[in-house]
Amino acid sequence: MSGHDSKYFSTTKKGEIPELKEELNSQYKDKRKDAVKKVIAAMTVGKDVSSLFTDVVNCMQTENLELKKLVYLYLINYAKSQPDLAILAVNTFVKDSQDPNPLIRALAVRTMGCIRVDKITEYLCDPLQKCLKDDDPYVRKTAAICVAKLFDINAELVEDRGFLEALKDLISDNNPMVVANAVAALAEIQENSTSPIFEINSTTLTKLLTALNECTEWGQVFILDALSRYKAADPREAENIVERVTPRLQHANCAVVLSAVKMILQQMELITSTDVIRNLCKKMAPPLVTLLSAEPEIQYVALRNINLIVQKRPTILAHEIKVFFCKYNDPIYVKMEKLEIMIKLASDRNIDQVLLEFKEYATEVDVDFVRKAVRAIGRCAIKLERAAERCISVLLELIKIKVNYVVQEAIIVIKDIFRRYPNTYESIIATLCESLDTLDEPEAKASMIWIIGEYAERIDNADELLESFLESFPEEPAQVQLQLLTATVKLFLKKPTEGPQQMIQIVLNNATVETDNPDLRDRAYIYWRLLSTDPEAAKDVVLAEKPVITDDSNQLEPSLLDELLANISTLSSVYHKPPEAFVTRLKTTVQKTEDEDFAEGSEAGYSSGNPVDSAASPPTTTGNIHPAGRQPAPAPAVPAPVPDLLGDLMGLDNAAIVPVDEPTTPSGPPLPVVVPAAAGQGLQISAQLTRKDGQVFYSMLFENNSQAVLDGFMIQFNKNTFGLAAAGPLQIQPLHPGTSARTLLPMVLFQNMSAGPPSSLLQVAVKNNQQPVWYFTDKIILHALFGEDGRMERGAFLETWRSLPDSNEVLKEFPGITITSVESTIELLTAFNMFFIAKRKNGNQDVIYLSAKVPRDVPFLIELTAMVGQPGLKCAVKTPTPEIAPFFFEAVELLFKA
Amino acid sequence: MMISQFFVLSQRGDNIVFRDYRAEVPKGSTETFFRKVKFWKEDGNAEAPPIFNVDGVNYFHVKVVGLYFVATTRVNVSPSLVLELLQRIARVIKDYLGVLNEDSFRKNFVLVYELLDEVIDFGYVQTTSTEVLKSYVFNEPIVVAPTRLQPIDPAAIFTQGAKRMPGTAVTKSVVANDPGGRRREEIFVDIIEKISVTFSSSGYILTSEIDGTIQMKSYLSGNPEIRLALNEDLNIGRGGRSVYDYRSSSGSGVILDDCNFHESVRLDSFDSDRTLSLVPPDGEFPVMNYRMTQEFKPPFHVNTLIEEAGRLKAEVIIKIRAEFPSDIVANTIIVQMPLPNYTSRASFELEPGAAGQRTDFKESSKMLEWGLKKIVGGAEHTLRAKLTFSQEFHGNITKEAGPVSMTFTIPMYNVSKLQVKYLQIAKKSSSYNPYRWVRYVTQANSYVARI
Repeated sequence: MSGHDSKYFSTTKKGEIPELKEELNSQYKDKRKDAVKKVIAAMTVGKDVSSLFTDVVNCMQTENLELKKLVYLYLINYAKSQPDLAILAVNTFVKDSQDPNPLIRALAVRTMGCIRVDKITEYLCDPLQKCLKDDDPYVRKTAAICVAKLFDINAELVEDRGFLEALKDLISDNNPMVVANAVAALAEIQENSTSPIFEINSTTLTKLLTALNECTEWGQVFILDALSRYKAADPREAENIVERVTPRLQHANCAVVLSAVKMILQQMELITSTDVIRNLCKKMAPPLVTLLSAEPEIQYVALRNINLIVQKRPTILAHEIKVFFCKYNDPIYVKMEKLEIMIKLASDRNIDQVLLEFKEYATEVDVDFVRKAVRAIGRCAIKLERAAERCISVLLELIKIKVNYVVQEAIIVIKDIFRRYPNTYESIIATLCESLDTLDEPEAKASMIWIIGEYAERIDNADELLESFLESFPEEPAQVQLQLLTATVKLFLKKPTEGPQQMIQIVLNNATVETDNPDLRDRAYIYWRLLSTDPEAAKDVVLAEKPVITDDSNQLEPSLLDELLANISTLSSVYHKPPEAFVTRLKTTVQKTEDEDFAEGSEAGYSSGNPVDSAASPPTTTGNIHPAGRQPAPAPAVPAPVPDLLGDLMGLDNAAIVPVDEPTTPSGPPLPVVVPAAAGQGLQISAQLTRKDGQVFYSMLFENNSQAVLDGFMIQFNKNTFGLAAAGPLQIQPLHPGTSARTLLPMVLFQNMSAGPPSSLLQVAVKNNQQPVWYFTDKIILHALFGEDGRMERGAFLETWRSLPDSNEVLKEFPGITITSVESTIELLTAFNMFFIAKRKNGNQDVIYLSAKVPRDVPFLIELTAMVGQPGLKCAVKTPTPEIAPFFFEAVELLFKA
Repeated sequence: MMISQFFVLSQRGDNIVFRDYRAEVPKGSTETFFRKVKFWKEDGNAEAPPIFNVDGVNYFHVKVVGLYFVATTRVNVSPSLVLELLQRIARVIKDYLGVLNEDSFRKNFVLVYELLDEVIDFGYVQTTSTEVLKSYVFNEPIVVAPTRLQPIDPAAIFTQGAKRMPGTAVTKSVVANDPGGRRREEIFVDIIEKISVTFSSSGYILTSEIDGTIQMKSYLSGNPEIRLALNEDLNIGRGGRSVYDYRSSSGSGVILDDCNFHESVRLDSFDSDRTLSLVPPDGEFPVMNYRMTQEFKPPFHVNTLIEEAGRLKAEVIIKIRAEFPSDIVANTIIVQMPLPNYTSRASFELEPGAAGQRTDFKESSKMLEWGLKKIVGGAEHTLRAKLTFSQEFHGNITKEAGPVSMTFTIPMYNVSKLQVKYLQIAKKSSSYNPYRWVRYVTQANSYVARI
């Protein structure tokens, strides 16, 4: 091989495909190899080289492994789009699977398993059966994984052909790599199957524990994770298992260490001897700490896991708090996690050291880290009664530096400290009040107001202080308003003098008459009524003794903690969420296109992809998961709210977004829902492309089930195959809660064309002034695009039919569609600009010919074959652009099902 | 335990390599990932954590020489496995290509895809051992000249300066032959120690830690067995003592808190005579990682003084003293100190005759920066910085400035006193005498002096 691979990316002036075709058929081996490389290069940058399928497959029969691998790579990519041609490769595959060279045998099976074409799968079974019993371990280990591949394509086939048994036999293989892959494959199959397939009993346990010692590091992880599901019969067995696993703690691979930790923790649950447990804790501590010497990414995983482990077994790392001190150059995500663990490990013994650290962190540069450090001091105060005073003095020191966000954060935590230790530290209130006018964050303001109200009787000028807030009452956020209301009532109850009396009038008036907030209004009315009917009862209610709080701000529910501990060393332990909260392994959600593997090429880069793809796909059930693991579950189904990106995402600037003008309220048949109210924060959008008076419209219905008036609606269409775009502004008047509006948005074609293979997806973004941008994906209905001028003369029809090569004919059968009569069918189709040309009888079948025209005068010739009254419709189309035939079939389905 | 996709993105988000193993993640995952990482705002953290979930797809990433190595999955995998795998893939590719950058990737894309197909099958890791892969991978690397080399690992520092180091070694492909067809028989053993020290404002050591690695890169043909002897007085485990206890540790040999070994290492005689034996696989790998909190002598002493001069001015004096022998030279030293955010100007004064030093006040981040090309053992250097404030300070400048942090590299020096006493290669013939390079280096990890 000579030169650089990158030369394969260069293109010639002459047509690239014909030139490659020529080279692929060259008589010289080297030239053929170079040509295949060029094809692969084109494929990786997203060019469509599927037309070279036959020529590439012809290069498959070669002894040259390098070339063979390249051809196989090509096959994996394109076989699905050329299933009929893929059959050409079957013979070579079968032959290769019997090649004397084990690498070729393995390669054949590996590749066949990756080609998800039924006809190939059929031919896979026999070679796979042989390869599972091959003499060469490389072939066997490849075959083991191949069983999992086959199960994914066709689970029944795997069970029927006895592959599961063969796979289980491989657990006893003498080669550890084979054992590891067999375990991995079985574990995956078990995961996706309801019947018990891979159950670990004491025999398999022994086998696997033996294999563990000889396996590669990755195999050890597979085996350890499979074994962690095993429940030991008694403490003695658990101790035995632990003894076998403990040496893995010395491994340099962090994944092995964490999987071993998981296994040991699991078995510890059964061990009764406290000596053994203490000893195990001692053994686990150093390797856990050593994980913090790895790359920051690994540290992050380790810290999230340690966070769980110390909640269950606080003694393990009780003496190691120093290793969790933040390093100056730790990434912020590592520092945040370390703080959490420091709080968990803080004790009366080490609190002075810990406070010294927190104080230092509180003067660093990163604002979020500083805030968290300040909060950490407060949490230590709440956690450690004997250290509370020291914590408070550190907080006061920090307040004196007068850095605004430090002061505000400190006031928030001091409020919590007051809740934890009532009537203990009020002497510091005077200091806090000095910072009163610098507070500008709602939470800090609310906290300060709470403190003033709660201790109004001890603050001489409490009324003045509160009064200073009253002027801006209507502008304050709800959180502050609520606190002001309560604090004023407290003040009044404690000091029922003239000043507070006037204040309470103002507040109650503001909170009942001048507000839209129902929470505020309701609370104000309750106070009002209480005060006017029975002031003593009001005292009992408002000034009642409050329950003392504890530091549970980051404590997990015991049952959740147990579940997460069982999932140590999995994603679950990083997110601190049970697996079912984020695992959505639904094949159906995937809109797979043929060229998926390589469509995102390096040179094609950004422009060729569909940037809004994932954002626009229907929201999954889980919503976004934040690895930082906030305890309250996020609101369900929030599709990426990135309003500012709207313009960028769509590849156009914001100026192109058309504003709302005047409303039109047409009515019509029900439209399919594209954004359900549950996903759209109460806004439900229904929409469909439609045709009216020779024009394409986007018919839309907006229903506002939210609490707010929605206005400023705009719409934007992503680049699409037909270049559909809005021809004018979206005309929706401000939408009041409980109302709906319909509109017909005129559309134009060929405005923003997408490159790449044709797709019927229409990605749309809708925004308004109140909500995040809603992205959704609609289908382009082809019959909305069929022109009124699609009628053809019979002669012209025949002429066109003949002039188009057979490769332009695409056929599809619809076994579920029944035609009730020829006439009604023609009538139906004519309504959508598919014009009747001729009909004939073929046996007891009716054949109908129709013509239509897609924009830009592309003829669309249709042949429908069906038996009236019997299910089954055969549909053939012939057109110069057969790529869009699938859209037509979608349209047919839609029309006949309706 | 399996991943769905693996891809490599450039800093600008361009696709360099993309492989889909299971076709279960929707199209556009590369863009989704890049957008998320670029605009990470959740929780207010500017830097995205290495693992996050978007629409049911989990994204894992590590950054290696400015490139994003990314894996996606839909299932509840072991995150440490995936992250470790991403690091290993980077290492294997570097073993093959010699240099890891966009250019070398593009020139070798066929080889990279071939490697990826052997490393991962159906999303399952098969092997990441360069040694094993050699028997399955047939493309030969096209070696890219290591221009504008960015260091991928600490060992790369050996290419800077120091003449006695064969500079090309670390950028040499493990599989490619030298021009002329023959490979030089040589083996590198690097003892790399990253040290973290925090000094209190009064100069006491608050925390200190050494993260060490014995790294090996073998270019020996025929994979001979190797014996590596470490200090005989090496101890592992601090016993029952806690980290707070520094008293009893001096003078009793080298005590490691913990260590772990590469899977090729045999420890048969480790307990008796502290020797490791192994048959080194091809490629670069850590023979042993270790961690120490035993007290050691920090290589630099830092002394910072802040003198207020009126309400709007102050002077900062930073003094650093190299506490290692005079035949040792530290290089690429950078001293940084955040200044109060109302600092408007800083003017610097170096000692008379200072050479190879630069100073800078970074206006946007209010950072003082002092760079020194080298510091000879025993030497002391001083920087004076006159600060001007845009507003009167609130009282205590030390609360709003600092701490002082340092980065440096000290070749041929290690603070732990861990040593490779000898490196024995099983002889094939009497004339067989390969080059052996045992090299030490100490680097700052987090070296901080509070003020």
